[in-house]
Amino acid sequence: MASTSRLDALPRVMCPNHPDAILVEDYRAGDMICPECGLVVGNRVIDVGSEWRTFSNDNATKDPSRVGDSQNPLLSDGDLSTMIGKGTGAASFDEFGNSKYQNRRTMSSSDRAMMNAFKEITTMADRINLLRNIVDRTNNLFKQVYEQKSLKGRANDAIASACLYIACRQEGVPRTFKEICAVSRISKKEIGRFFKLILKALETSVDLITTGDFMSRFCSNLCLPKQAQMAATHIAHKVVGLDLVPERSLISVVAAAIYMASQASAEKRTQKEIGDIAGVADVTIRQSYRLIYPRAPDLFPTDFKFDTPVDKLPQL
Amino acid sequence: MDQNNSLPPYAQGLASPQGAMTPGIPIFSPMMPYGTGLTPQPIQNTNSLSLLEEQQRQQQQQAQQQAQQQAQQQQQQQAVAAVQQSTSQQAAPGASGQTPQLFHSQTLTTAPLPGTTPLYPSPVTPMTPITPATPASESSGIVPQLQNIVSTVNLGCKLDLKTIALRARNAEYNPKRFAAVIMRIREPRTTALIFSSGKMVCTGAKSEEQSRLAARKYARVVQKLGFPAKFLDFKIQNMVGSCDVKFPIRLEGLVLTHQQFSSYEPELFPGLIYRMIKPRIVLLIFVSGKVVLTGAKVRAEIYEAFENIYPILKGFRKTT
Repeated sequence: MASTSRLDALPRVMCPNHPDAILVEDYRAGDMICPECGLVVGNRVIDVGSEWRTFSNDNATKDPSRVGDSQNPLLSDGDLSTMIGKGTGAASFDEFGNSKYQNRRTMSSSDRAMMNAFKEITTMADRINLLRNIVDRTNNLFKQVYEQKSLKGRANDAIASACLYIACRQEGVPRTFKEICAVSRISKKEIGRFFKLILKALETSVDLITTGDFMSRFCSNLCLPKQAQMAATHIAHKVVGLDLVPERSLISVVAAAIYMASQASAEKRTQKEIGDIAGVADVTIRQSYRLIYPRAPDLFPTDFKFDTPVDKLPQL
Repeated sequence: MDQNNSLPPYAQGLASPQGAMTPGIPIFSPMMPYGTGLTPQPIQNTNSLSLLEEQQRQQQQQAQQQAQQQAQQQQQQQAVAAVQQSTSQQAAPGASGQTPQLFHSQTLTTAPLPGTTPLYPSPVTPMTPITPATPASESSGIVPQLQNIVSTVNLGCKLDLKTIALRARNAEYNPKRFAAVIMRIREPRTTALIFSSGKMVCTGAKSEEQSRLAARKYARVVQKLGFPAKFLDFKIQNMVGSCDVKFPIRLEGLVLTHQQFSSYEPELFPGLIYRMIKPRIVLLIFVSGKVVLTGAKVRAEIYEAFENIYPILKGFRKTT
């Protein structure tokens, strides 16, 4: 009885006047302060900040920080192992110049494949400048799929690419399959297959793509002015609303809308340029354009300034 | 043949409301125009490879069907009253009395055939005919056409593919590419993959009977080349059907409401892939209104799946 009460009382520091108040920690001075009355309750708390400042122009080999990298507890199961570093003195090398102590591998064999995949995901995302939140979501998806083990044994690269595609979709900034294909070694067919498999394994679904998701990216890649981009968005929206091109993929509609808008503005782009950016063949753009051309006057926004009037638009 | 239950002859062999298929009785029910296409198969004549016997058997079945159809039509009229009381479908007023006749005039293939599912849960009286009382306003009137049947059969003996490929006509064999002989016949136009274990896959037929006939022809060819071929365990593995609902469909709406069954990725495939759970059929639904149904083991599943999807598709008809 006495011991338990002592254990109970030991860790709890509280303000004597306000026992229910949650103490605020002031890390700079190392104090625990009661917010009600300002009494400093505990002092000399150990500071958890870094010991000294490190600047980027200091030589990189000697990093005096003793705390190491930040943990990634969500993803690697809290890896708490320690690595023994490379030796620095002359005694750590044997006569051939090889280091004597070589045990720097096998730190987390169970998650080795997962860490490899995370590295791959980061590399792929870097190539198309994806934001950190998409990469984090991709890592989470990959971890879920990996732990489920229903797709175990399949190529991790394919799963990683499909997870990246799904993460982009879920964040509201979808990338086309061809864009993911461009940064991955997996073919579009495989990514599509794994995309469906992962959706089934995780029992989630994704929203349908819309034309507006791709406009800003394609237009800025083509260096089109804002007016042309807004016109293209409006055209694509009207085309889908009027259902002028029911059987074509949405990306083809986007490409044709950009073509029409760019041809009507001062900055004209050829079909080949648009096809390269969008990943659409230029014959496809031609086909879709032919279908929307008859309704061209209705598709443009009302306040659009035509550099080339509507009747002078190229007719392919 | 019809003393087993209190069921009239046409219902015998199909699901009785008690919920059990009566085994051991040859299933020559008249509602199945191609009775031998169903599993379980009739036990007789499995080993004889004579094509003449096969065709005679088919003619016999058809004669039996026609005789029983007429007997059944009379009973259909009696059962109209029971039809109107049936609760299995939404009953349309009065017009349902006409539909059983309508079904009959159309070679019996429009009716979804519930005999294949032994656990038919509908609380109808035994006098209810096999054609469920889908009122005329609900039935689509469209019959999916079968496009392809894949079946397997075991010839029961090990085969030497090299001799088959060398001596048979229209046979190709490339062991480096694929470990089977690919043989084709012109009538019915089908392709067979013949493996060295003696098992054979027959594809390309347009009906169950044609598939069986073609498989027998291939087995005959193998037999003539000197192998002791038999005809064991003929089983239809997959049936593909297609049809046209004749109106454009809003696939985006369909994928929103039936999310757990549908998968629509226009970048990957222009059609919506609908995986129906009961019956287990995969449907490919296109914007133009064309529908492809696959994954069926019996013809009735295709019909049932189409009848299930048709009202859903009508709900997503494009209005412009």
